[in-house]
Amino acid sequence: MATTSGTVTEPFPISRVLNRFLLFDVDAISHARRAHNICGVLIGTIPNLSQQNVFLGVPLELMPEEARVLVEEGHAYIVDDVDVHQRGFTEMSREVRLQFVREMDEQGMQKAVENRNRLEENSRQALKKKGLNIKDKIAGKSSSPDPRAVSGGSVEGNPAKEGKEEEHGVGEDGEALFDQPRATVVPPPAKKLDKHYITPATSYPPLSAPSPPSPAFSPPSDLNLPTVPRSYPLFRYMHSHGYFSMPGLRFGCHYSIYPGDPLRFHSHFLATGMGWDEEFELLDIVGGGRLGTGVKKAYLIGGEDISLKGTSGEILGEADEKDAETVRPFCIEWAGF
Amino acid sequence: MTRSGDMKPAVEPSPLQSLLTDPILLPGSTHLPSLQTLAIQVQHDLRYQHSWTDLRLHFRSPLTNEPLPRPLLSGLPPQRLYIHPDEQVALLKTADQQRKASKEKGANKPLEVTAEPEHEWILPTRLNEKWTLHRLSDVFGGIGMVPPAAETAATEDMRPANPWRTTKRVVLATVDPDSTVVYYIVHDGVVKPRQN
Repeated sequence: MATTSGTVTEPFPISRVLNRFLLFDVDAISHARRAHNICGVLIGTIPNLSQQNVFLGVPLELMPEEARVLVEEGHAYIVDDVDVHQRGFTEMSREVRLQFVREMDEQGMQKAVENRNRLEENSRQALKKKGLNIKDKIAGKSSSPDPRAVSGGSVEGNPAKEGKEEEHGVGEDGEALFDQPRATVVPPPAKKLDKHYITPATSYPPLSAPSPPSPAFSPPSDLNLPTVPRSYPLFRYMHSHGYFSMPGLRFGCHYSIYPGDPLRFHSHFLATGMGWDEEFELLDIVGGGRLGTGVKKAYLIGGEDISLKGTSGEILGEADEKDAETVRPFCIEWAGF
Repeated sequence: MTRSGDMKPAVEPSPLQSLLTDPILLPGSTHLPSLQTLAIQVQHDLRYQHSWTDLRLHFRSPLTNEPLPRPLLSGLPPQRLYIHPDEQVALLKTADQQRKASKEKGANKPLEVTAEPEHEWILPTRLNEKWTLHRLSDVFGGIGMVPPAAETAATEDMRPANPWRTTKRVVLATVDPDSTVVYYIVHDGVVKPRQN
């Protein structure tokens, strides 16, 4: 039901919902991954199989660092989704709303017809296989493509069977699950083809897509930027060098860093970002280095040299600040003896 | 049960113990005695447990001649300690070519990968210390790519520059209170990991 444009125009919107940064558009997701080395984590789950996390889908949740990198480099902007929705739907005019409801109804009816035709085709095939052609006549009658014609007409077939089919059809689509199929208890003599009730999966056909902030706002002020943990400078540094990052929880670090797309490469580094004068235990270095070597990776620690940052900011100005490398990374591997 | 003063102690102090408790006079060092004994302890471990040679203490930076943040060691491991993955690929290629060449001559030699040992910097630390990136960067700021050769000219010639050695590295020696020493390589920069 989503209308896909196929291309992404930058800057693209990132939805902020409850301080999580989400991408709902498949094109934006693939664009972010292809062009900007941003993987994110797919979090859309099947409600009753939430442990099946191999099969997650949209939306894509971005780490705050990822969202911030995209915004800072001008590839994306943050949209407060709650605000946009509340404003958008309360201010929506009656005509637009009715128009949208009508479109949804039409789509639902179309879907119902398609579904019914498919079911009838299936049953005809099944009967044919068994050599039972008795119902050809009935099937021919009820498979009329126009639902309005069917809704008035009666179906003389086996009512119980028809009811079953209908119930099956509704359940399969999953969108009208809570509409109790009336046909199960007492099948009515005359069958009206019910349209499917479609839950719109996108909110940007009804709402007009939020526009990027005007250039007056850019470069974005710190207030609009996602708040990021202290490890952000290391993330930005590795990202600027073309590395891909994924959350590092499973290795007890901030990021696991890949030299290319994680689908093609094993990760190279287990990265922990820290402040320039933040104290760390040597035991952490030993542990991280040992774990990293055990899984054929290196343990990477790094942080931003505050003194360098201060001077480069003053001398070079804001535009060049990013180019001056203020982040010092160190890689740790087991020495092997 | 009292012990008379002239009795021998039940346990002789270990050579390491006496090495450390001996009054140390390290010329040119302005570092804390605890850091000096730490360096000597690591030096002892490397020399006698891991057969390192040419171990030397450094108190001043070979680059600036400023005092180092703490005494460092340099030494030569018995085998090559670190082979960069790209260098490993190159070494394997040359080894394979050599094997093929020898096969054509009729000899059936196995694949021989030779990597000469290289001098390494060693940074002695104690496990209960706290470190920061700042201090680590100060350590790297005081050292060069390769430890300076000893005064004798012979070692200078024996130390060909390895073109693969492009980032500074130190061997982080961490001493546990129970005198276990563990060694980790710390690179200054992003260096891809070895595929062990």
